[in-house]
Amino acid sequence: MYGKGLKPLSIATVAMLALSLSLVFFYAPLDADQGFVQKIFYIHVPLAIVALVGFVVGGIFAIAHLRTDNRKWDAYSYVSIHLSVIFGVAVLITGGIWAKASWGHWWVWDEPTLVSFLIVFLLYATYYPFRYAIEDRDRQARYASVFAITAGAFVPLNFMAVRMAESLVHPRTFATAEGGMPGEMLLTFLCMLVAIGLLWTTLVKFELTAKSASGQVKRLRRALDAPVSGASSRIAPEVS
Amino acid sequence: MLELAALLPLGAPALPLDEAGKYVAGAYVVFVVLLLVYVAIMAAKLGRIERDLGEVAAIAEERKETQVAPGREAEEAAPHG
Repeated sequence: MYGKGLKPLSIATVAMLALSLSLVFFYAPLDADQGFVQKIFYIHVPLAIVALVGFVVGGIFAIAHLRTDNRKWDAYSYVSIHLSVIFGVAVLITGGIWAKASWGHWWVWDEPTLVSFLIVFLLYATYYPFRYAIEDRDRQARYASVFAITAGAFVPLNFMAVRMAESLVHPRTFATAEGGMPGEMLLTFLCMLVAIGLLWTTLVKFELTAKSASGQVKRLRRALDAPVSGASSRIAPEVS
Repeated sequence: MLELAALLPLGAPALPLDEAGKYVAGAYVVFVVLLLVYVAIMAAKLGRIERDLGEVAAIAEERKETQVAPGREAEEAAPHG
């Protein structure tokens, strides 16, 4: 039962988002360099971290699928990647807005952090046509799992490569030799990170519940020998 | 490298609140709009599932009635008393 615990999780997500947004606008101090524009940081960076972690989690579910041959894990992997791609869109747009406000440009091609995230995003954007190209459901699930594992392994490697690269304009979130963020900023950031993480988990659970309900209706139709109505998705895995 | 250096806001004053506010509002609105679009798509999917479930329930009830009906006919045809 995928819907179990969805209600308390949703309430916790809404409460945490409300608290975090209050902290962002009423508690966290203004940044000395960037001023009010720096508030974008509290939505942009947690979204990016959660999206990247979501891609890795999708890979871990894919490993579970290949090990057990249980289609449930393929559905988990698919939904994790799906949500992370949506979060990725938000990261690219909010990042563009922040870049325009801070640097005067929507995009900077010389910046490793930006370009590496775009590469990861475009890599995962190919996940859908990749699944769609394979008709047989079992093969589709297996190949998609291999893709998710390979791409999931690429994400931390890519992250480490970017951390090692010399960056000139993009700031480092947990900085380094000069010390990190002030306490209030760090607390606000961590609350927002938890809130966005909870949102991702809630949406994954929500989508899995919807897929499970849809799969059970299809099973019921088959049991009744009734025609399956509507166009069923060829790429979304069926769960019951 | 020099091109990148030119992008650095070093020494430049922070954007005034009225100008910065537009960007901050834009970023948070994008997040909310994406969330709402996702929820709307999921709501449409749930509506379709509900409709499908209604159809399946109607088929099941129809079948039950057709299975019960021959029994009833036989009962009615049997001599009373």
